[in-house]
Formats: sequence, C-alpha cells, structure tokens
Amino acid sequence: MVTLATSRGYRIFQAVNAVILTGVVVVTLYPFVNIVARSFSEESYIASGQVNLIPRGFNLTTYQIVASDPMFWTNYRNTVVYTVVATLISIVLTTCYAYVLSKKHLRGRKTLVAIALFTMFFSGGLIPNYVLVTSLGLKDSIWAIVLPNAINVFNLLVMKAFFEGLPVELEEAAAIDGLSTYGILLRIVLPLSKAVIATMVLFYAVSYWNSWFAAFLYMNESELFPVTVYLRNLIAGATTSENAGAVAGDLTQAAANIQSVTIVLTLIPILVVYPFVQRFFVSGVMLGAVKG
Amino acid sequence: MYQVSRRQALLAIGAFTLTIAGCGSDEPEQGKDLSPNKDGAMAKYGVGDQFKATAPLTFSILYLNHPNYPLKKDWLFWSELNKRTGVTLTPTLVPLSDYEQKRSLVIGAGDAPLIIPKTYPGQEVPFVASGTILPVSDHLDLMPHFKDKVAKWNLQADVDTLRQSDGRFYLLPGLHEEIWLDYSLAVRTDILEKLGLEVPKTWEELYTVLKAMKAEYPDLYPFSDRWGIPTPGGNLLNIVGQAYGAPGGWGYLPARWDATAGKFAFTGAMDQYRQMLVYLNKLVKEKLLDPESFTQTDDAAKQKFVSGKTFVTGTNAQTLVNDYRPPMEKLNPDAKIAKIPVPTGPLGEVKYGNRLENGIMISKKALESKNFVAMMQFIDWLWYSDQGEEFAKWGVEGVTSTKDASGEFKLAPDVDFIGLNPEGKKHLQKDFGFSNGVFAYGGTTKLLESTFSEEELAFQAVMKTRKARPVEPPRPFSDEEREQASLWETPLKDYVTQMTLKFILGDRDLGEWDAYVKELEAKNMTSYMNLVNGAYERFKKEHG
Repeated sequence: MVTLATSRGYRIFQAVNAVILTGVVVVTLYPFVNIVARSFSEESYIASGQVNLIPRGFNLTTYQIVASDPMFWTNYRNTVVYTVVATLISIVLTTCYAYVLSKKHLRGRKTLVAIALFTMFFSGGLIPNYVLVTSLGLKDSIWAIVLPNAINVFNLLVMKAFFEGLPVELEEAAAIDGLSTYGILLRIVLPLSKAVIATMVLFYAVSYWNSWFAAFLYMNESELFPVTVYLRNLIAGATTSENAGAVAGDLTQAAANIQSVTIVLTLIPILVVYPFVQRFFVSGVMLGAVKG
Repeated sequence: MYQVSRRQALLAIGAFTLTIAGCGSDEPEQGKDLSPNKDGAMAKYGVGDQFKATAPLTFSILYLNHPNYPLKKDWLFWSELNKRTGVTLTPTLVPLSDYEQKRSLVIGAGDAPLIIPKTYPGQEVPFVASGTILPVSDHLDLMPHFKDKVAKWNLQADVDTLRQSDGRFYLLPGLHEEIWLDYSLAVRTDILEKLGLEVPKTWEELYTVLKAMKAEYPDLYPFSDRWGIPTPGGNLLNIVGQAYGAPGGWGYLPARWDATAGKFAFTGAMDQYRQMLVYLNKLVKEKLLDPESFTQTDDAAKQKFVSGKTFVTGTNAQTLVNDYRPPMEKLNPDAKIAKIPVPTGPLGEVKYGNRLENGIMISKKALESKNFVAMMQFIDWLWYSDQGEEFAKWGVEGVTSTKDASGEFKLAPDVDFIGLNPEGKKHLQKDFGFSNGVFAYGGTTKLLESTFSEEELAFQAVMKTRKARPVEPPRPFSDEEREQASLWETPLKDYVTQMTLKFILGDRDLGEWDAYVKELEAKNMTSYMNLVNGAYERFKKEHG
C-alpha cells in the first residue's frame, strides 16, 4: 500500500527539503558562530582574516575589558528596563484595543479600526514626531521610548482576529453566571489567550530590545541610552580615524573583537528567552490566522 | 513595532529641508545694534587676551560623543574651562554613529543648541536657506583671533570658498596653518630591498617597481588598494588624479577651475582625468593592480596586505600603526612597511588640499540671547586662540602636560595618549577630556605635529616642500540653481563613476573617450557647466 509517507514523490520532497533547510541553517548560523569565534580570538588573527568558525589565539581579555566599562552595564540595564516596561504597556494597550474591536456589536467599530489602520500607512513624519514628543516633555525620559508606537497595528489585528475566533457562547455563559464585562475579559478570555499573548510579548520584546532609533532621537544623556545605541556607536568609532600621525596604536581604539564581544553579550538574553517562548509563538500565530 | 528606518528618516529630513527652503528671511543682520546682547562679554577683548566672562555663563552645545572617550562630567577639561572662562557648556549628547542625522533633526525641529560644532565645510549648505543658522561672517568683528589667523596665514581665499550666493558664510571653519596631507601608500620596504629597488618617487617609478615585484612573484597582484566603499577608489583616484590635475574619488568635484581658460571645466571630461585613467588602466591590464582595489572592503585589502599577498596598499598615518603593523609583527616579523611620500606625476611637486577643517555652526537663536557677544568671544578664545587650542589639546600645564622653553609639549609622567607615554596609567582623552575631537583641531603646524611620530614627521617634511595648488574661486549657487544643479549633478556623477571603473578595468576601451564625452553632454554636462560658470561670473561681479 502506498501511503503519503512512503510515496516516492514524498521521499524526494523530503530529501530536497532537508538539503535546502540545512543550507538555510548554515547561512543563518555561520555569521553568528563567526562572531562568537571572533569574540574569543586575538586581534591579529582577525585582521589577517584567519578566523572563521574556531577562535584563534583564544583569550578572554576583551570580555574583561567590555565588562569593566560601567557605561555598558548602565545601558544594558536601560535596555532591560525599557524592554520590560514597553512590552508591558504595549501588551495591555493592544489587548484592550483588540478585545474591544473584536466585539461585532460595538458601535463605531469600523471607525476605530480605520483610525488604527490609518497610522499603519501614514505617519506625521520625523520632525513633527520629534516636536510632539519634545513639547509633551517626554524627552530624556523612559516615556519617550515606551509611549509612542505602543500599539503596533499589525499585532493589534492579529490579536483582534484571535479574539474573534473565541466562541461567543463562552462569554454568554460567563455573563449568565454573573461575570461583569471585565470579569469575562480577565477570567475567561485572557486565560484562553495565553498563546497569542505569549506571541505578542515575544514580538514586542524583540523589537524593543533591538530598537535604538527612538532612544537616539529623544535621549540626550549617555546614561539613558539602551545598549543598542552603545553598540552602534562603538562600531562606528572603530571605523573612524582620529589622532592621525600617532606614534603607536592606541588602546582606546575599539578593536574588531571588542565589537564581537559586545554583540555576543547583547544577543545572549534574547537568545536564551527565545526557545522557551517559541512553542507559544508557533501555535499562537497559527491560531490567530486560522480562526480569523 | 513600526521602526523608522534610517533611510526614511533621512528622506523625511531632506523633504523638510526642501520645504523650509522657501521661507528664509533675508533681512540684513550686518550693522545690527548688539548693545543689548553684551551681558557677560568683555569690553575689551583682542588678540592674545584670555577670555573671561564678567558673569557666569552657560551655553548649550551639540556634543559628538566618541565611543573611544565617552563624555564624563568630572573631566578636568570642564572644570578648568569654567575656571578660565567662567563658561559652563551644557552638552546635548549625540552618539558619533548618527551625529549628522541628529544635527539635521534638531536644527529642523528648531530645537538646536546654540553651538553646533563638528560640521564640515559644505554640510552647512542645506540649512542656509532655512534661516535657522547664523551668517557668522557678519559677526567676525567679535572674533579677533579668528580674523588674526585668517590674515596671518593668508586664508582669505580658503574662507571665501564658504561664501553662499548672498556673499556671507554660515560656518566658522577650523583653520590649519598649512595644508595637511595624510593619505598615501604603504609599501613593503623589505621587498624593495630584496629586489634592489628604490622607494618610488613618481607614479611612473611606482609602475616600474610594481613590474619588478610582479616578475619576482608572478602569481600575486603587487598592489591592492582599500577605501573603495562607499566611494569607489576613494583614495587611489584622489591621489593619482592629483598628480595629473584632476582628482577623482574622495577629491572629486564636478567642476575644476581651469586657470588658463579662466573658467570651470567638467572634471570627468578633462584630459587630465583621461590621463589618470590611462595610467590606472595600464596597471590593471598588466595585472599589477588588483582589479578589486576599487570596490573591495577595507578588511579584504587589509587581509591581503598583512598576510603578504600584496606589497603596496593605501594608508594614512593611523592605519599604518594600527591596522598593518601589529598583525604583521605577529604573522610576518621580517616584513617592514613604510608610508611613502605621495608619488608625483606630470604636474610635478604639487599638492592639493584645503586648509579648512570641520567647524562650528551657530544657531540663529543665539542672536536673541543677551550673552551673544560673550558667546562669540568665548568661541573665538577656545577654538581659535593659540592659548585655547593648546589647552584643548594638551590640557593643563603641570597636570596633564608640560611645555618647555622651545614650545615642545610633553605628557605628564602618569598620563598616556596614543602610545606617547605607555607607562602612564591615566589617559589624556578618556580621563581628562583633552585632545577631544569636538574642541581640539586645526591650529599651528607645530601644534598639529606635536603628537606626530618621527616617521610621520619625515613624511610631512617631504610633503611641506611641495607647492600648494591655488584655491579655486567661489561659485555659490542660488537656491533655485542649487535645486536644478543637483538634478543634473547626481546622474552625471554616477555616470562618471561607472565609466571611470569601466575604463580602468578595461571593460571599455579608452579609444572611446570622445564618445564618452558626447554621452556626458547628452546628460546635460554643458548646461550644468553653464550654470557653474554663470554662478562664478555673478559672484565675481557682486562680491568679488
């Protein structure tokens, strides 16, 4: 008997699939492994292009140098704080908005959706945004980062689709049993929405962790920068020439492996969190998509 | 979440600059009564005077934060500056990585600090029409040291190149006493010795040297250059072009002054430019010059050079000691390299260059401040007086450095800077805030060279004997002309770049030069040049 799993075509498909996906894995992993290898290598081997997958001239000095810069840790802490606070605010606001929009009997629902959608395609532009944030007095504070763009319209629509997929009967039953509107949301809907919420947390957290532009625009003190800005500046500094005509290389020059070390240190947390959230991530996106 | 990308941001800023370009105000500022703006200013302030505000003053400044010496509030620089001048600077901190973008943003949003340093000549132009920055040329009377240096070093022609179509200039440039050249070629002198060759003095001699190297090592390209990104052949086309009289690469200007004809000529169509292409094409054709030279990454060129796959590459003083020597010492201890004086060509011993450095824009808002006069005096002292320049670079006598009777500077025993005093535990930039790129640049040649190594001084000594090419006359466009010019300029420049590479790499035969010039004409070269020469004539008539 020929089943799907044993048919010739399927086996060929699997083989091709495996080859292509292995290729994708290599292409994705190589830069990462290379950065890790560089972070443990000696500068001269990097300069002569001899570091690929395995560190050469293994040493930990650079890790010690980077870790001893207090500003790195200050900015690192900022990134964590900004990410946590911003994600929290985003999740609360997105959930509330999406839940409301998922109710078909809501008056003015179309207008509310249109308002959200409008911002997806049009924005005020950079300078008006800057002027707005500045005149609201948000500059040089965490609010400049966590409040603008707190609701991502794409995430909002995914969530709305998910809520729409929940059976109406459940909520009706809860109402009959005496739950208020908020009770329904908190005790019935949210516990059933763990998948989509985990997904949203991941989406938001990763994008806040990686973001640098808002902080760059609205922060004027290095103590307030997230580590992404620190890293960007470090890399730019390594390629800028100053002190021409110097006697010898200066220790202050950010070397190639300082960059690698900083990149590795910045990547680790999000890399560690990812596998734990990922199972929600896959099912969450699918749920929203299929039922919507 | 939605992230504004850099490109979008730049577009937005560009669009904004264009919008506000229309509404500049033109009322003359010259002769404005400054008596209400004199709070804190010195009644008598002249050359050689130490500026000291009569009352404590605070000025805002846009501050470029360098990752190698990130700003610290307890730097000796700040406290000593306050002690000497009575001025406190309040920095708006901007990472070096995106300084220009933030500068455009804060100026565009009307939120700019009063002092906007680290602006290179030409970068001020987009802001001129908006009326948000001050035409500093109207207020030079408040700046005795600036005027003194311009007069003493005969810099008027250089400064005139900054003038806009209204005859004023909007940037206080950093001033160098002499043209300072840094970029040249690094050559493996041990290979020269081995083959019994002399250090090449001209580009033709370099050709002979490369040929000899090729004969000995037929599998290698003896010459592979760096600095091809983002400008293809940035350094090489510049230094070779200078020898012929038509710099390309970094030195490319759409139009070059032709003194014999008394007008500007289009660089990419000049015969001198063609001669440079002929020379480089010869090197590529005979496999002496790596064809990747013009577009490869710096890292790639660096790797080839330090691992001994090439013997000649581009360098400046810093890459010589930072990029090449340390890995070479480790991988190939017998290798010896030197930065050779820039080879010369048909023009002989000449040098191209400009004596203007990056400088300072001043927000127009400053003019309303009651401390305006004091601020200009302060800027004049810190950035343009010998005293101020020495302070910004070397710090405080007896604490960070000492100056002997002959004017030579020496670091204090416990202070290090660029390897001058490896014993020192403290760092002049990181721990004290001196030799900071925001405050310390330009000045006398003696001051500039006070941190140079012996070998760099020898290079500079050779370059100093060369005759500087005269400064080209100003040809500022009006707003409408600038808009039209940039519509023509960009496609022309792209085409020149593209064809330059094709000619050099042999993808197009140099016999087709005339056809190429015709193609440039089809891209409005003649109209563009009429615009340039028209602007030149007008400026000469109105402000010359």
